[in-house]
Amino acid sequence: MLPREARERTHIAQAMLDVMSAWGYGAVETPVAEEYAVLQAGVGKSLEGTAFPFFDADGQLLALRPEMTVPIARLAATRLRDKLAPHRLCYHSDVFREHASLRGQPRQFTQVGLELIGGKTPAGDAEIIAVLVEALRATGLSGFIVRVGTVEALEALIRVSGKDEPWRQAVLGAAQSRNLVAIDALAGAQDVSAQVRTALVTLPRIRGDRRSLKSAREVAGFCDGVSDALESLEATWELLEAAGVDDAVSIDFGTMRSFGYYTGMVLEVFAPQLGVAIGGGGRYDSLMSEFDSPMPAAGFAVGIERVHIALSQQDRLPQAEDVDAVLGGEASHAFAAARQLRESGMRVRQSLRAGEELVAEAAAFGAKQVLLATGEGLYRLDEKGSPQEPFDIGQSLFSQRPASTGGKVT
Amino acid sequence: MMVKRSTQAAGSERAERLKFAIPKGALAGGTLEALASIGVDPRVIKESGRQLVIATGRFEFIIGKPSDIPVYVASGAADLGIAGKDVLAELDLDVAEIVDLEFGECRMVVAEPENKRESVEEAYAHLGVIRVATKYPRIAERHFASRGVQIEIVKLSGNIEIAPLIGIADQIVDITQTGTTLRENDLVIVDEVMRSSARLIANPGSLCTRSEAMAEVISGLSVKPLQ
Repeated sequence: MLPREARERTHIAQAMLDVMSAWGYGAVETPVAEEYAVLQAGVGKSLEGTAFPFFDADGQLLALRPEMTVPIARLAATRLRDKLAPHRLCYHSDVFREHASLRGQPRQFTQVGLELIGGKTPAGDAEIIAVLVEALRATGLSGFIVRVGTVEALEALIRVSGKDEPWRQAVLGAAQSRNLVAIDALAGAQDVSAQVRTALVTLPRIRGDRRSLKSAREVAGFCDGVSDALESLEATWELLEAAGVDDAVSIDFGTMRSFGYYTGMVLEVFAPQLGVAIGGGGRYDSLMSEFDSPMPAAGFAVGIERVHIALSQQDRLPQAEDVDAVLGGEASHAFAAARQLRESGMRVRQSLRAGEELVAEAAAFGAKQVLLATGEGLYRLDEKGSPQEPFDIGQSLFSQRPASTGGKVT
Repeated sequence: MMVKRSTQAAGSERAERLKFAIPKGALAGGTLEALASIGVDPRVIKESGRQLVIATGRFEFIIGKPSDIPVYVASGAADLGIAGKDVLAELDLDVAEIVDLEFGECRMVVAEPENKRESVEEAYAHLGVIRVATKYPRIAERHFASRGVQIEIVKLSGNIEIAPLIGIADQIVDITQTGTTLRENDLVIVDEVMRSSARLIANPGSLCTRSEAMAEVISGLSVKPLQ
């Protein structure tokens, strides 16, 4: 990645982290390589085929982290055990995933996300959704939709079905791979009651705003587990309205996540025109007990590369010039002048070019100022490269930096 | 059942055509019939000549090879698509499988030469491995792994029936509708791997960001009314 792209991504990540910080989340870092067993404790079988495993010199099995939730859960369970919960932790980290070859999927990508460890339903669910919406808005992205569902409803229906374990696993597997045709076929199996069958076929197809909760209750409310899940979603929705983010949220009972640790609300984020999710997350109330520190928790992660692509499709990339000024002239004069310019807050690229070539270099790097350092002082150059009026460094603080660029220039 | 929503995306939703990836080849006839049921004139597509992207009414059709349709949909190049279950199972991409369209029905089977049945068993007993020719390496691998049989896959891209005759495989895994081609090549079916038919598939993101337009097409193409 080259400087301009790197700076754009830094802007995007920083805009999101600033929002998280405003909500009281503190950034954490964890090791890139973790013990395979630690990662597996949280994710179980889905770790196979996603993590890059390797042995260290002592023969211990390690893996590159495929995501950040499990490492942060471990961190919170050990290092924050005696601290006052809930823990609000956020991160900006590279993660690594193995994919079958030739699938057009990157193996390394960067996530910005957060974990709210110790936060319960529904306030905790509403908080992470609200932070997510605000963080994405802060990047300049528009039209995105956070699609919210719950794994509890389907799991409750499966429990009351009275069917055996292989059937239950097949239904969950079909839901996770978004295969409604397979769910229909499984629901049609003998000895599934008509009530459960209708609920299984209909529920994953219900989506929309608050009114979809009513539709869900009509087909599946007979099941206590579903009814509880709907109540909790309804309470969450009310808080989302209060937080002013409900217009970016859509309820969708077909939402499932492939990581197996989710226990309640699950979410995915989509942007128009981009066919793949830019982020996802949910509630994982049993993960912390894997590390002997049982407490409810929820979080999300957003793929920075995908937000970057979505912003570029919307032509809303942060304005990120490489430098503010290109400075020519004899080195002895230029070094002194450049130091003063940098102290005044400008980013200065020193150059050995002169005249029109210097102007061309400034254009190539997006510099607003083309300057020439001489024994007599500092001069601004015109588009032909001829010196014009003297340049006043004292003014540069106020006049030379671009006004608002939609984010901080780093 | 689908609840209408008014979202921040609703305004832009109306303006743009839904991108619909449709297959040429064996599934083309059934596809055009299905599309006719939602008001798309088949002639517009039939008479398009060599054009592979056709804009008409609320759709922009993208015509592709059957095995490429799920790739178009998974990547978001198309919002909707029609693809065989065989291809979907082989590619295993992140697309939503919404409706069984109930045409293009076929079986995926394991077959071997009638006159060589004993020698296949012998080869397996002796070498502990069977050579299997197929266009569907992942499906074949999963199928034999679930039965605990060790195989070597010979990946071919067509005329799979010929593989045992020319001696590059002991068995084949391929789709068959009537079994005629298999019989003509002296092959007999020894096992069924899966049943396939055409499916309506959708990009998961489009289901979310263009939910109204998508819901209309999906309910129009649902063969059976949902319970």
